[in-house]
Amino acid sequence: MDWELVAFLVLSVLEVVGSILVVTNKRLVRAAFWLAMTLVTIGGIYLLFGSEFIFLIQILVYAGTVPILFVFGLMLTRTKIMDEPSTEEGT
Amino acid sequence: MSQPLVPDLFATCKVLTGAILWVVQQILLALGAVIPPLKDLGNWLASDPVVSAVTWLVVMTVMLLWAVLINLLTMMWVERKFYSRLQDRYGIMVSIWSLPIWPFNRKDRPTHKGWGYLQNVADGMKLLQKENLTPRGADSAMFHMAPVLIASSTLMIFVALPWSSGFVVAKPDLSLLFILAAFSIAPFGILIAGWSANNKYTLVGGMRAAAQLMAYEIPLILCVIALVFTTGSLDVYEIVAQQERTLVTLGPLAIPAWNLFGPQALGAVVFAVAMMAEMERIPFDIPEAEAELVEGWTTEYSGMRFGLLFGFKWLRMIAGAGLISILYLGGWTGPVFTVVQVAGIPVPIIPEEVWFMLRVYLLSVVFIWISWSVPRIRIDQILQLGWKRLIPLSLLAILLAAGASLVGW
Repeated sequence: MDWELVAFLVLSVLEVVGSILVVTNKRLVRAAFWLAMTLVTIGGIYLLFGSEFIFLIQILVYAGTVPILFVFGLMLTRTKIMDEPSTEEGT
Repeated sequence: MSQPLVPDLFATCKVLTGAILWVVQQILLALGAVIPPLKDLGNWLASDPVVSAVTWLVVMTVMLLWAVLINLLTMMWVERKFYSRLQDRYGIMVSIWSLPIWPFNRKDRPTHKGWGYLQNVADGMKLLQKENLTPRGADSAMFHMAPVLIASSTLMIFVALPWSSGFVVAKPDLSLLFILAAFSIAPFGILIAGWSANNKYTLVGGMRAAAQLMAYEIPLILCVIALVFTTGSLDVYEIVAQQERTLVTLGPLAIPAWNLFGPQALGAVVFAVAMMAEMERIPFDIPEAEAELVEGWTTEYSGMRFGLLFGFKWLRMIAGAGLISILYLGGWTGPVFTVVQVAGIPVPIIPEEVWFMLRVYLLSVVFIWISWSVPRIRIDQILQLGWKRLIPLSLLAILLAAGASLVGW
């Protein structure tokens, strides 16, 4: 079989599974990790199309953006910061 | 004109691999007289695709050993000795004669009057023996994923970062973008590490890393844009090759046409400051400010995981200093005074690798000097510095570079 087809199938499966996990995962860190994974696999598909520049820009831009999105997700979703009950009782 | 010691790392390593596999093949062929299938195995091992595949592994191992084992340990030793001298003390002085095993346990030698070079190796051995703890309530998978992410992305820089025109693993066309992309993955690992440990100090450290990221990453990239106005290329070989000419001749001194001398001077300064924040040296090391947060985002790590996260900061410093010297200080260019013929192979007296190492170590010593001379700044001060000073200055650098390329300077 063609290796490019195999690489494309593996990348797309990872991407679809990752993007589903981004929205279904309850833990914020794991959602951020799967988001980064999805974006990097999209970059890998760009690389398969022969556009190395877009692949590098994808990693450069989105690997820098995921932490920022993560911080926004943290601020907007009112998630529990720590497992200890004492931090939640204050407010 | 400069000349590299290793013209092509892959070809050099292929000779080595071919020799080793040839010896293995001869042994297997000799054994094949008794066990016939071994003969086929020996011939398969010495075939060209197998040799090429093994050579790739050898090339990467050579680069890893060179970058991590030699340069990382040397840089840590240089830092420890140098800041000790700045603080008017000797620093690490344990010598090899303090080892308790046979060839070293001589009573007539002083044990604590050495250079202390092996102290970092001893610290690493100690960290290897420590237990690997996972805090209660931590997200275990993410907690153990973060050091892997940081360490692997830091090593990925050295895939494309050349030490000379030949000593490099891979030569992508957009090698500068590749290096910057590999640099930008680690802050995500820092954030994961800070969040998943379920500790307030690591959490604050990780949040600070995310806030700091925007403040220095934007001026860093803007300075590279300003540089591209001059060079017109994102290939580090092209960028270095353009700096290998003489700008002016002042008597016996020939000033080389480094990017630092010219319209890029402002960009070089901004790039160096942003790079210090990127590698978390002391004025900008607020993600692990050990006076406020216990050890920042590395607080909960133990054993060799802590050792990896702690040591790879120096590796990032080496990579950052190498990137600055490639972009602004002429990379590996330098004069070769004499070329000696050793068994028919030309060996330059001062090869490109030595010139590059000289720049990297001098720059690193400057960084160490700065970081042990100035106090740590606060989180709001670094954001102010990044957004209100560095970004306008880097935009000014772009303006200068664009104007200079317009008038053809």
